[in-house]
Amino acid sequence: MISITNKHLSLQDIMCELEDNSAGALSIFIGNVRNRGRSGNVSEIHYEAYSKMAEEKMREIENEAQTKWGIKKLVAIHRIGNLKVGETSIIIGVSSEHRHEAFEACKYIINNVKTRVPIWKKEISKDSQKWADGFLLE
Amino acid sequence: MRSDIPDNDKIRVRLFAILREKVGEREITITVPTGITVNHLNNEILNKYPQLKSFSNKFIISVNCKVTTGNTIITSKDEIALLPPVSGG
Repeated sequence: MISITNKHLSLQDIMCELEDNSAGALSIFIGNVRNRGRSGNVSEIHYEAYSKMAEEKMREIENEAQTKWGIKKLVAIHRIGNLKVGETSIIIGVSSEHRHEAFEACKYIINNVKTRVPIWKKEISKDSQKWADGFLLE
Repeated sequence: MRSDIPDNDKIRVRLFAILREKVGEREITITVPTGITVNHLNNEILNKYPQLKSFSNKFIISVNCKVTTGNTIITSKDEIALLPPVSGG
């Protein structure tokens, strides 16, 4: 399941999506808003996406992970909107037969979501707002 | 109708993040001669919105959700977007 959403991310729901009796391993990455950014203290982050293209790119990355590691199930959900410190912005979940594939696929997917998917974040503090530096799409 | 007047296309262009803020709109419309390329559209956008000139090497133009080359020919039916460097996660 691939999704861009403005709703709270539920780890419980994602665990249910990943259930597969043939999978002996399940790897999950959770990205949270932290209280420090490149510009100093952060109180919240604004996330914005080109949702249609973002979901297409995430499906492309999913297919690559499927080809490389033969994973069983995958969930990649990115939240958009204004998120406060401690809130979850992204969850990547992968189930596979053995742990190696689950670890590697999870790492591959989060690294590629960060560099290839049209999503942007702006760090907001009490005194300033700054769009994060990022990666120009290729 | 005079035949020597070129046909025009109205190209709608979506803007995101810092580019949206600099222009103050989520979408702009650029009127251009029919059959122009991505590079030509880029020049037209920078002429109409000079506040984007300082970002000219800091965004790409997507066509129908794909990163394309500057020589790609576009029409009013294409979905065009200006995308600054991405920073999700």
